[in-house]
Amino acid sequence: MTTKLLCCIFFLCGSFFAKAQDVDLDKMLEDEQKKDEKNKTHFTEATFKTTRLIHGHSIENTGAGILDLKISHRFGQLNGGLYEFFGLDNASMRWGFDYGITPKLTAGFGRSTYQKQYDVFVKYKLLRQSTGKTNMPISVSVMGSAMVNTLKFTDPTRTNYFSSRLYYAYQLIAARKFSENTSIQIMPTVVHYNLVPLATDPNDVIAIGIGGRQKISKRVSINAEYYYQLPEAKLSGTTNSLSIGFDIETGGHVFQLHFTNSPGMTERTFVSETYGDWGKGDILFGFNVSRVFSLKKRK
Amino acid sequence: MKFLPSLLLSFFLMAGSEQSKIYTTNTGQMRFRSEAPLELINASSKELKGAIDASKKTFAFRIRISSFEGFNSPLQKEHFNENYMESVKIPEATFAGKIIEDLDFSKTGTYAIRAKGMLTIHGVEQERIIRSDMEIGNGFIKIKSSFIVLLSDHNIPIPRVVKEKLANEIKVELTAELIQK
Repeated sequence: MTTKLLCCIFFLCGSFFAKAQDVDLDKMLEDEQKKDEKNKTHFTEATFKTTRLIHGHSIENTGAGILDLKISHRFGQLNGGLYEFFGLDNASMRWGFDYGITPKLTAGFGRSTYQKQYDVFVKYKLLRQSTGKTNMPISVSVMGSAMVNTLKFTDPTRTNYFSSRLYYAYQLIAARKFSENTSIQIMPTVVHYNLVPLATDPNDVIAIGIGGRQKISKRVSINAEYYYQLPEAKLSGTTNSLSIGFDIETGGHVFQLHFTNSPGMTERTFVSETYGDWGKGDILFGFNVSRVFSLKKRK
Repeated sequence: MKFLPSLLLSFFLMAGSEQSKIYTTNTGQMRFRSEAPLELINASSKELKGAIDASKKTFAFRIRISSFEGFNSPLQKEHFNENYMESVKIPEATFAGKIIEDLDFSKTGTYAIRAKGMLTIHGVEQERIIRSDMEIGNGFIKIKSSFIVLLSDHNIPIPRVVKEKLANEIKVELTAELIQK
């Protein structure tokens, strides 16, 4: 009798388990997806809209196999008044190409009208901000650049060395995308001078850069960039570079419009050789435009 | 205690007779294509998840938006995720519902079926009937389907500057092989 009763109970249990298989399929997939996400690392993308914050580099790299032609202008000072048409009569320009060798390695070169400079750089991403399996709070890149001034020597009678016109900049870039709209990066920078203007000037200028962006719509963000030079390690008479601008994305391209007190577009000219003072109205209007070309064939 | 082994046996027999009617996959393929006058855009993913319950004719599909690869540049992929699909806020697209036709899943063969359900893309639900070819085999179901998704149906606006580069009509194709659990 007890055997039969137990049999009944087990039978009921059995059919109950069979019933339990009628699951909500959508819920089942959702749970599975959640499980998957935990085992995958999701890298944070688009911390900034483009590879330059304003003057300097952002944490972003040029995509592998992508060639990016960048043309940048800085006009004259707004306080030139109507005579200079608020600076628009004068323009300093840099053009250059950036190329993404791998997703983490970008190299580029450029030519500036300001002091007839050539510049080259490499940027390598060391860490990528991520969530999921690997949790990494920040992205970190290193950037190194070399610049050469090719103006005619002011005094050809004395012995002039080519090496005296070389400049190097080393930068560590640490960035975090705090939310979809807000990203901040810090850029400790050293600019090395083989030859400095004054004997009392240091050969290594040390600066801490800080920059960020705040998106104000899906396609427009406000950017700011500031380089604080350590007072004991700066060239005399220089000021700190401060720039505020907009990134405007228009179907695949990013236009950058900004106001700044730095006329140069290489690390050495904006980090360590800015002479303008915002307080006195030494403000320049400028823009960067870029055009990308895919060199590598897609699969 | 002689009854115990026979009890357990009967229990297992019962559990065994209730074979699962659920077919699943994690590696379905999905492609989409935008054919605008000035630009063609292709992208695909191999992370389509799917499940079909043969006993109830219900189904569910789900895909992670950021798993789509391809595009004409890395920047385009970024814009796809950031500006159009908003994949951080809305990470997945889903389609779940029921097969309209009466199907005998125990009979192998190829059938043209209609799947009726809620298609959720960019967080916007649309009731859709999607035609699909379904091959029922021994322990597996193969699905092949192509359909159109209108961006305007899912609250994905096309900015004026890319009107000529992005089609409102997106062609979607999928193939998946679901295995019986």
